This record gives sequence, structure tokens and C-alpha cells, in this order.
Amino acid sequence: MKIITNSEKETIKFAEKFSRSLKGGEVLALFGDLGSGKTAFTKGLARGLGVKNIITSPTFVLMKNYKTSAQAPIKTLTHIDAYRLKSGEDLEAIGAMEFFNDKKCITAIEWADNIKSIIPKNAIKIYFQIGENNKRQIEIKKPPVALR
Amino acid sequence: MNILAIETSCDETAAAILKAKRGRLELAANVVSSQINIHKKYGGVVPEVAARHHLENIIPVIDEAVQAAQIKPAAIDFIATTAGPGLVTALLVGIETAKALSYAWNKPLIPVNHMYAHLAANFFNQSIQFPALALIVSGGHTEIVLLKNHHHYNKIGQTVDDAVGEAYDKAAKLLNLGYPGGPIIARLADKFSGLSPINLPRPMINSRDFNFSFSGLKTALLYTVQKMTKKEIKTRTPEICRAFQNAAVEVLVSKTIKAAKKYQVQSILLAGGVAANKKLRADLKAAAEKNNFQFRVPEFKLCTDNAAMIAIAGYYLSRKHHPQKDGWQKISADPNWEL
Repeated sequence: MKIITNSEKETIKFAEKFSRSLKGGEVLALFGDLGSGKTAFTKGLARGLGVKNIITSPTFVLMKNYKTSAQAPIKTLTHIDAYRLKSGEDLEAIGAMEFFNDKKCITAIEWADNIKSIIPKNAIKIYFQIGENNKRQIEIKKPPVALR
Repeated sequence: MNILAIETSCDETAAAILKAKRGRLELAANVVSSQINIHKKYGGVVPEVAARHHLENIIPVIDEAVQAAQIKPAAIDFIATTAGPGLVTALLVGIETAKALSYAWNKPLIPVNHMYAHLAANFFNQSIQFPALALIVSGGHTEIVLLKNHHHYNKIGQTVDDAVGEAYDKAAKLLNLGYPGGPIIARLADKFSGLSPINLPRPMINSRDFNFSFSGLKTALLYTVQKMTKKEIKTRTPEICRAFQNAAVEVLVSKTIKAAKKYQVQSILLAGGVAANKKLRADLKAAAEKNNFQFRVPEFKLCTDNAAMIAIAGYYLSRKHHPQKDGWQKISADPNWEL
């Protein structure tokens, strides 16, 4: 699925709507350059899942967990930022992988291309591209049915 | 009263000894072992690498502090350690060491919030008129905190996306200036004087709340750079750095002053690693004094991560809650501990 958003607000709205299709345990791998809308998307996701905190960049601490008030069994949104990382091993060190595919958890990973080796095969891949006049193209690729 | 403090939340392994006599604080030792050169090539602090170096350095650093202060363990009244926020792998080294010492020496242990410690660095032998407003700026945080007294505080504003230190790092990355971004951008910005057509936005400067946004500034910088050729970017780097720094500092100063007026505080405090930025120090000081607020900022060596500030924070926290000897059993790392 491919869509075009015209503003940051639209990206947030789109993610909010998208969040309702989640069932728990999904890993969302986000790909795209600086400023292409990954954090805006995560903010929308959090809003859709009923997170009350402000979603701030986890670049510095690499991972932040937020309590959700979403549909059961989802209890946590795990926001990971691999911007500074060179390989998946660094995320293993902070215990990030415990959250992957945990039914109670939705995991969103920014800069997923930096840690390709540990992205699970059943991850939903989301690609962000910068267009003209604040436009952003968002493409969502779901894993093959057998892996869902 | 003698306090041993330990700090390992990020890339500095630090220990300090603080002596308090009738409210007068004396820093008997302040040891910092930095890993910044190790992490430079990664463009940031790598958790696994940081933990390993903390582990190698922690005991020698504590040992050096204790020897420099010429103090025996028996003379230490309590231990203070950073319990968050920070990198979990890094925090654990300091916390577990502090817990072991607390148990072995039978001394109380106080967990300290790293952000509170940054602002407590302002309490070091400086009188503060309360209520006060603190702007805390670092690589992971940008917050405005209202203080009723030394240990009663609440957060009234924060960044809604990137921290200002992170914005500097990302701007430096867009301009190929390496890591960390703060010092190099500040240095290059000083090299440009005169008028520039580059005008970057001041995100949320007119919003009614006291929140900040630096993600939009980064994106605007990206658009500016995209329109230039590689050669042009290279020759105009100081000009771009100046435009970026002007935008970031103006928003920080403007919102802090606005909040100070709204809450009718007596003084404005600046704290955190980015408080080492000369332009921010100078501009906020000028704006505060123009509006008749007392202005306080820690000396440079207490702005970047250190254990002296943890000891100072521990001292003020101990006046609020008397530390307990078995306290260590309940202390654990909280990487996302909010003020």
C-alpha cells in the first residue's frame, strides 16, 4: 500500500488510523532519511494506541517504552531509534529484542536499515520518501501471509 | 557530612567527594574519565562499548576520588548514584557498584535523577532566590522546570520531539562535521559575521505552552542544504552553522523568559551539557538581566556530565528524606526516569 501525505499532521493522522489495524506483537520497521516522517508516524501510532506521554526522540537512549490504553492485548509501545547504530548487536545489549513479537507490545524501529540483521522476518516494513512541498510518500509492505 | 557520588549514565565514568559543613559545600574530589574519543567514530555513544569502559574505569575512578579527598570509607556518610535517565547498560555499572559499596561499607545509598542533578549544579555555593525557573538542555533532554525550593520542582515544558543537543548532533551530521555536534557548530558559527539570506524557522516560538520542537528546525536545515551544491555547502558551512545556532538559541531564550514572566519567578537557572554553549549562556543571561531576573549557570566543568553534581543533588535530597541504610535493596536503573 502506498499513500501520499501533504503535511506532518496528515502523516500523524494516517498513522493513527493505521494503528487500529494492529493486533499486538507487530514489529514495524521504518525506513527513510532525516526528516522524512518516521517520528511523526510514531507520534500518530502512539496517539492511536492511547499513549498519554509526549513521544520524544529516543536517539540518545536508543529505546523508550510507553504505556498504551489500546485494544487488548496491547499494553506497550516500544519506540526504538537505530540512527546511531552500526549493527543489531548494540540493540541486543540493551535487551530490545525481548519486545519483538511480544503480543503485549507494538515495536516501532526508526532507521531499521542500520540493524537489518535483527529485524524479524515477519516485520511490517514502512518506507518514507520526501517529495516536493512537504509531501511524503509512505509505503507499507506487509510480510508474506505465511509469516504473519 | 561527607558524600561519595557516582555517575555513569552516558559516556563519562565519574566519582566525586563532597564535604558539607554548616551548609557550606566543598568539592574534595571530582574525577571524570571521558570516553568521548572512543565513541566519536560511532557518531554517538554505543551501549555495549560504554558499559565495557565504565566497568574498566569505575573502580580506579572511585579510588582516585577517595585518595584525592584523603578520606577513609568510614568517614563517608552516604553514597549518591545516578539511577536514570540514561543508557541502561551504562547506568547499571554505576548503580551496581554503588549498591555493592553501600552494602559492604554499611552506608545509606540515595538514587539521584540525572536531570535534577544538572540543575542542582547551580546550588553549588550560589545563593538562589526562589521561586526559580530552570532551563535544562542536553543531548537527550530539553526541559523547563519550575522550582519552589531546592528540592520541590515540577516540569512545565519540554521538547515534543528532538532534544536541542541532539538537533546540534544531527545538524552536524547533515553538514559532515562529525560527532559531537555542539562544540564544532558553535565554533564555526563564531567564524561568520555579517548578514545572511539563510533564515531558519523558530519552531513553536509563539505557541502558548512551554514546549519546544527541534525536529522541524532539522528538517528546514535539510531543505536549505539540499538546495546547495556540495562546494557551496563547504564554503558556507560557518554561515549555515550560525543560522542554525541563532534559531535554536532564540527559541530557548524566548520561551524561558516567557515562562519566567508567567510564573513570576525570582531567578532563571541554566543547566545541562548544552549550558556549556557560550552563545546560549550569554544570550539567556542578557535576556534574564534585562527583565530583572537573577541569572545562574554552573561553572563550565559542572555543566557537562560529572559526579560532583550528583553529590550536590544527593546533599539536597538528603535534607528532604533522611537516607536509610538498607535503601540500596530497592534501587534499580530507570533509563526513562522523568523529572
